[in-house]
Amino acid sequence: MLDHFASRSTPAHRLDPAAKAVALLAVVLATVLVTRDSFLPLVPVAAGLAAYHALSRTPIRYTFRRLAVVSPLAVALVVLFPFLEPGEVLVRWPAAGGEVVVTREGLVRAGHLLSKFVLCTWAALLVLATTRFQDLLQGLARLRVPRVFVTQLAILYRYLWVLMDEGMHMRMARAARDGGLGPWRLRWHSRAGVVGVLFLRSWDRAERIWRAMAARGFDGTLHAPRQHRLRPVDWVFAGGVLLASAALLVGDRLVYG
Amino acid sequence: MADPLVQFDGVRYRYPTGMQALDGVTLAVQPGERVALAGPNGAGKSTLVLAMAGFLRAEGTIRVAGHRLTPASARDVRRHLGLVFQDADDQLFMPRLADDVAFGPATMGLEPQEVEARVREALAAVGLEGYDDRVPYHLSVGEKRRAALATVLAMRPQILVLDEPSADLDPRGRRRLIHLLGGLEATLLVITHDLDLVVETCERTVVLDAGRVVADGPTADVLADPALVAAHGLEVPHRLAGQGGG
Repeated sequence: MLDHFASRSTPAHRLDPAAKAVALLAVVLATVLVTRDSFLPLVPVAAGLAAYHALSRTPIRYTFRRLAVVSPLAVALVVLFPFLEPGEVLVRWPAAGGEVVVTREGLVRAGHLLSKFVLCTWAALLVLATTRFQDLLQGLARLRVPRVFVTQLAILYRYLWVLMDEGMHMRMARAARDGGLGPWRLRWHSRAGVVGVLFLRSWDRAERIWRAMAARGFDGTLHAPRQHRLRPVDWVFAGGVLLASAALLVGDRLVYG
Repeated sequence: MADPLVQFDGVRYRYPTGMQALDGVTLAVQPGERVALAGPNGAGKSTLVLAMAGFLRAEGTIRVAGHRLTPASARDVRRHLGLVFQDADDQLFMPRLADDVAFGPATMGLEPQEVEARVREALAAVGLEGYDDRVPYHLSVGEKRRAALATVLAMRPQILVLDEPSADLDPRGRRRLIHLLGGLEATLLVITHDLDLVVETCERTVVLDAGRVVADGPTADVLADPALVAAHGLEVPHRLAGQGGG
């Protein structure tokens, strides 16, 4: 689960979820907006995240595993840059009717985008690893994120596991009868059937959840979250990260224009 | 006699598939009564509950706590009904248990302190003190069932309607539920085919079959009649076996 380590108690865990959400937004914005000409501005971001990581005592394996899961997406996005970006040619292969070249600028650009992706994902993973999801939702609600959006996230988080359970049970029921054998065409056919039935079941469940909500008086208006007071340490943390991110951006503009 | 809290008068409902689920149900529940609605699968029990909460538009008259049910009054009617659905996963839709229990009172527009007090009281009533931060998905089936009951108790409804409350429970969970229901001071309508649970919690039993009321009387009389229960796909509960005979 994403928030598997979120119930621990370290200074990083005890920070207010709203403060962490603000800090995350600041870090992501700064990381995305700094120059693409140098890796230098990314160093303080990485150092800050490493410090938070150490403070939260999140196992390194947790972060690596999850990064590994989402990275193929980023790699797929940048894989063509070394071949397409014009610049100093490093390698040249003859190919049908012309040649394929790899440029230094292209490699740097790809490496840069990949680094930014890893840093942003790392930051998000750290927030999830140190904040229980329901607390994060409360934090978002307090930051005036539209309630409809927060409620949708809450319901998605609540039922994702139920849906996964249902899918797993159906898969087991299928495997118990076909033993994973049989012609591939039939296997794919039955897989498609599982997806279809899962969709219909979700539809039915959505209807039943709505009834349960309506039975308790739900009329489309969602009610305000519990009030919560920020501690000085939360202000210092959110303010510090905001200031550091702003300083990074200003410095970046001054140096790289 | 006081006005009935719930009254069905000639209630009929036919599903779009053509199945006549309710075929002229007439029934009244007095304040403080504990009534079991028993019957085989497909008898129309759950349909009756959906009709009573205005989720299905049935023909005939339904009154709840003095309100006549119409599409316009459905929301008011639901305020008096505490519906606990069969699948607790449908009822517990928030990621944190205390937020789920707070959902009803908050929707009623109560002050935050009052909501908090109701959450405490409801969780204590079902023996789940200290479960505020628990994720409903990780609760056991028995805990989920009790949590679902708490979400409704927090609204202090005039009548509690429980749909198959003992389904999927192990013997210990079932015992606990029976004990819990016995201690509640509310008008109760329990939809079930767990007749041993009925014997221990309800003094009156209504048997529904093919959308009609086929028996209505003291539990000990209705359920001890082997011919009657067998004719409607039920069994004489263990507790009453040997006492009856018609």
